[in-house]
Amino acid sequence: MSARVAAFAVVFAVVYALAYLAAVENNWALVTYHPQLGEFGLGVEKAREGPAMYWFGWLITAGIIAALAGIVAALLPERATRFLRPALTWVVPLCAMLAFAWLLRTYFLR
Amino acid sequence: MFTVLLIVHGLLAVALLGAITHQAASALWPVTRPAGSFTGRFRAVAAPGYANAIVLLYLATFMLGGIIYTEYRIFIRPLVEDLRAWSAFGAFELKEHFAAIGMGMLPAYWYLWRRPPDGRARAVVTALLAFIVWWNFLTGHILNNIRGFGS
Repeated sequence: MSARVAAFAVVFAVVYALAYLAAVENNWALVTYHPQLGEFGLGVEKAREGPAMYWFGWLITAGIIAALAGIVAALLPERATRFLRPALTWVVPLCAMLAFAWLLRTYFLR
Repeated sequence: MFTVLLIVHGLLAVALLGAITHQAASALWPVTRPAGSFTGRFRAVAAPGYANAIVLLYLATFMLGGIIYTEYRIFIRPLVEDLRAWSAFGAFELKEHFAAIGMGMLPAYWYLWRRPPDGRARAVVTALLAFIVWWNFLTGHILNNIRGFGS
């Protein structure tokens, strides 16, 4: 398996977790879905009729950022990505999961 | 329509749960001699052969879950809030975030299973994905029970 695939996979996992956490915290949703109307809107929109859903937008935002970062990493020379350790693929996502658990802790402590 | 999707989503999740639990057990506690016991045979599966199926099952389950989520947002979440079932509410919030983070881990997971094991990364990534799948399965089950079928 080539070093380029390895660089992409590691960087994608790391950047996706961080970008998703940032997207949720700052509401960087690329699209808003209005389930009551069955309509998508570009960017962050207020609720029209019924609730507004930003989760799809956060996924897209994180996916695009991570894909771009992964592609850049894959294009870099091998010596520049040598520091990318496979352990990063679980350490960073685990930290993001723990951060979400911390942010949502009030629901479990009521 | 959504009931059918929910059932298919649940069936895919069961298949994913079984596959990733087998694989995680095999990666974390590999058998060193011919398996004689039930737990030994459970761990003695050819784990690398599960990786492609797990990626496809995760993607399919995730996409169906995304469709059903819209129904949850309109009809089920308000009920959970009315019931003040905050633990269940928080568990579902975590489910959506864990599922998203698991999606981001899939390329690395797939890559790690395409090459010989190097340290513990492959086993830990698989275990983390297994945790996500178990959390999401149980949370979905609990939320489904709170709302009740057809009510």
